[in-house]
Amino acid sequence: MNQRWWIGYGAIALGLPAVGMAIAPALGQSALATYSMRVTSGDDGPVQPDQGLTLREAIELANGTLTPEQLSEAEQALVQPLPAGQGSRIGFDLPAGQTTIALVDLLPEIVAPELVIDGTTQAGYDAEATYDPKFPAAPAVSLTVAEGSEVARGLTIAADGVTVRGLSLYGFRTSDRATQTTPPSDIFVSALAPPVDASPLSPVLALFRLDQPDAAPRGVVIEQNWLGLPPDGEFPTVPSAFGVTVFNAVETTIRNNRIQNHDGSAIITGFRADGLQVSENAIIGNGLAGMPDAIRLEGTIAASAITDNLICANDGSGIYLFKPEGATQISGNAIQYNGRRFERAAVYLMGSDHQLSDNFIGYQPGPGVAVTAFPESHRNQIRGNRYAELDGLAIDLNTQGNTEVQDFQKGDGPNPPRNSHHRRRETGNAAINAPQFDAYSFASGAAEVTLTGTADPGSEVDLYRVAEDGFPYSPLTEPLGTVTASPEGTFSASLALPPGTRVSAIATDPAWGTSEPAAVSSVLAADGTLPDLPATPVEPPSCNPPEPPPAPVEPPPPLEPLRLEIPRNVHFALDRSNISPESAGVLDQIAAALLEYPFLTVELHGHTDPRASAAYNLALSERRSLAAREYLIRKGVPMERMRIVPLGETQRRSEGSGRVEYARDRRVEFIFTDVRGLDIIFLNQEADLQLE
Amino acid sequence: MRRIQRRLYRGLLFLLALVLSYCLSHAGPSSTVAQAQSQIFVNQASAQFVGPNGPATTVSNQTQVGTLTPPGPLLPLLQITKTADRAAAEPGDVAIYRLLVTNLSTQPATPLTITDQLPLGLLYVPNSVQTTPQQPTQVVATDSSLTLTFASLGPGESVSVAYGVLLTPDAVRGGGRNIAQASAPGFTPVTAAYQMTIRPGILADCGTILGRVFVDKNFDGQQQPGEAGVPNAVIFMDDGNRILTDPDGLFSLANVLPGYRVGTLDLYSLPGYTLAPNLYRIEENSVSRFVRLSPGGLGRMNFAVTPTFGEEQS
Repeated sequence: MNQRWWIGYGAIALGLPAVGMAIAPALGQSALATYSMRVTSGDDGPVQPDQGLTLREAIELANGTLTPEQLSEAEQALVQPLPAGQGSRIGFDLPAGQTTIALVDLLPEIVAPELVIDGTTQAGYDAEATYDPKFPAAPAVSLTVAEGSEVARGLTIAADGVTVRGLSLYGFRTSDRATQTTPPSDIFVSALAPPVDASPLSPVLALFRLDQPDAAPRGVVIEQNWLGLPPDGEFPTVPSAFGVTVFNAVETTIRNNRIQNHDGSAIITGFRADGLQVSENAIIGNGLAGMPDAIRLEGTIAASAITDNLICANDGSGIYLFKPEGATQISGNAIQYNGRRFERAAVYLMGSDHQLSDNFIGYQPGPGVAVTAFPESHRNQIRGNRYAELDGLAIDLNTQGNTEVQDFQKGDGPNPPRNSHHRRRETGNAAINAPQFDAYSFASGAAEVTLTGTADPGSEVDLYRVAEDGFPYSPLTEPLGTVTASPEGTFSASLALPPGTRVSAIATDPAWGTSEPAAVSSVLAADGTLPDLPATPVEPPSCNPPEPPPAPVEPPPPLEPLRLEIPRNVHFALDRSNISPESAGVLDQIAAALLEYPFLTVELHGHTDPRASAAYNLALSERRSLAAREYLIRKGVPMERMRIVPLGETQRRSEGSGRVEYARDRRVEFIFTDVRGLDIIFLNQEADLQLE
Repeated sequence: MRRIQRRLYRGLLFLLALVLSYCLSHAGPSSTVAQAQSQIFVNQASAQFVGPNGPATTVSNQTQVGTLTPPGPLLPLLQITKTADRAAAEPGDVAIYRLLVTNLSTQPATPLTITDQLPLGLLYVPNSVQTTPQQPTQVVATDSSLTLTFASLGPGESVSVAYGVLLTPDAVRGGGRNIAQASAPGFTPVTAAYQMTIRPGILADCGTILGRVFVDKNFDGQQQPGEAGVPNAVIFMDDGNRILTDPDGLFSLANVLPGYRVGTLDLYSLPGYTLAPNLYRIEENSVSRFVRLSPGGLGRMNFAVTPTFGEEQS
């Protein structure tokens, strides 16, 4: 304890000049001179008077740590004072072909309020190329890390009202080292960001002012950026760690960004993110090697909203709320193809009073929405959403205080009806009962069918059409209408439904929340038969950006029966997960097939030979699958079409224990699904076998 | 109709015969059994019924029980029973032992001597002997043994003895097995043992380790409000014990041997998290915690974690 204080005092003594510089402008905000600046040099390095104004110099000018007099005349010409009361503006006028700013070190923390960093001012930015607000036009200016350097954060924002617009930020991460670093990210929003590395110079705790909401930057806006991918849209050589870290800030707005290819989450909150607005972003393919969830909300998130985003092909949940304080509103999002690496719920809710409405949730190897049993999570309203292709319930309320590993990822399946008032305390949404139809089938009348059943008294029962067969709890495809349960706990609805329709229902009570879905019931024809409805072909959604203006659509040629030979496995060296040149050749063939037939999807099953422990082999097989996936991603295969399934040593290819058998065991198998009548011959090739 | 009636009648009769024979064989006065220990019981059942050829009688086979040999001449016999008021005790406790000695023979046991040898570490509590109904004529007590002498114990009589013993710290080293013996001239000595489990209690040197796994927001290694605990995180101890945190991220491990103990956070059990850097204590920038657990002491192992990236590097 004493020692820590000594370190603290030491830090104050040693860090006083630096801290003073950081704090002084924040304290004397009104006194800051404001400028309109044009960045003309993509170079980075120490501040010095030279020919071009760099981004670092511009930020220091705005922060007040640099005065125009310290710069050359050429640079001073690029800096225009602005009248008081107006925030500084940083525009870009980089020479053509040199629009990449490669940082060699952390940029200074932005402490100038109302500063606008606007990448759309750069010549060459084509605002017209935005066909969908979720996919803004490719930025003209990119901010990345110089080769050979390591920079943990792109922009660090600690002031109110800062706007970041139209930039491409990627490559911000730290390398593995003895002591971990604080989470790196493209944009980090916090009052005084924690230092990247631990050192005796760390500022004392009180300086972070985490307990003072007033100190947190308010009203930061991040819009029209590409985070995690360069302007050409390729997978970056060095992926970023996290996208936007809202560590300690209020009323942050993140809108119209494309956030892709991060090792960790696209958006993650830390200590405080009250009033966070995340709207109309495309959040694709994040969580590749770290926190797998696309949007991870922790800390206080009161009055936050996640609206109208496309959350696609991320490795974990689309949205995961981990023990937050305060409620959030999630509406109008398309949350699909997530859970590529972890079989998690598309949306995992902890906490009370969240609202989930009008979302599309589908193509998830887990339930649609899971509500935890612990900590107590009540009154979550989950209504008006559409679901498709789930591996689990559309809404799964954990019950009986279930807190096992699976319960925090996939939920625990259908609940039995409430049999004791104690269930309310140990079940998500206070154990509101799922509605129950009186029969598994209802005969249709002349024009309408009357569906009857039981539900909690007074609850509102939303009826749903169910399109998929099979499983008695198929995803809820489309809302049909709402009726209110009587005080006796019965409901009845008359609907015009064609015979053969399958229906389900959820019940919502404002005092408790929304229930799990009812077991599916079907509508019979008047003669008691169950006709097959013609299946409406559903074109599965994709994560692709919208195409430029509608080219004349030519009718797709009917799929001819086609014979195709694709290798279905690659092999690895002992205890290795890197792709050998021979395996790369095999993967090229697979990538070519996947690119040619865009409907093909594939599961990457990783395997090892039986030596070493089961746990070690499981991890090794996961690394092998990931390596194969990374290779395919770099070849341009969209990641929503690949799923990681590590199997460890559980499914060997061979039975013996010789070198050859072990070499055959060390493999990744490609299991193609959705082949649509294509006649594919999968070859078990052994050209890349690595004997040792 | 008539035929059915006749069948019913026949069945009823058969049932009656069975019940009667059962009663005969079992309901005899019990005294007859005791008196006729050397007799042979012959048991045979018979049933009467109206068959197709008129009334008929049928007889079962014979069974016989009891060819007991007469007991030999009664030996002069004592019986001793030993109990205590607890099955397990810790140093510092006082346990109460009870002895019951009965003379089963037809001759008096004169004089009766009861000796109780206490195991290591158990001390007789002075003047704690209570006997009923007789009073001893002599009580000789040393620290570890107690000898009582009674004038005489008549045939069929019993004497009950109760006394207290104090468990000292030495008891932990002893076996806790206590043997009492009753003897009288002309009688075969009899013994009774009582095994008491001795727990180390206050002298136990096992310690306790507690800790927590939580998401550190300010990177100081301590859990403050707003820093949520991580459920189901795995901690491995140096001896292979596997500990799982509870839904609040807490864990505790009782009965840990004192000494230098090491616990490691299994990062594979918390996908998406890694150890948080500690900006203030360099020692805590490690996945393992080293605790010097003093005997009976308390150790703490807190693990701060933070969202991670770059898992492919490690």
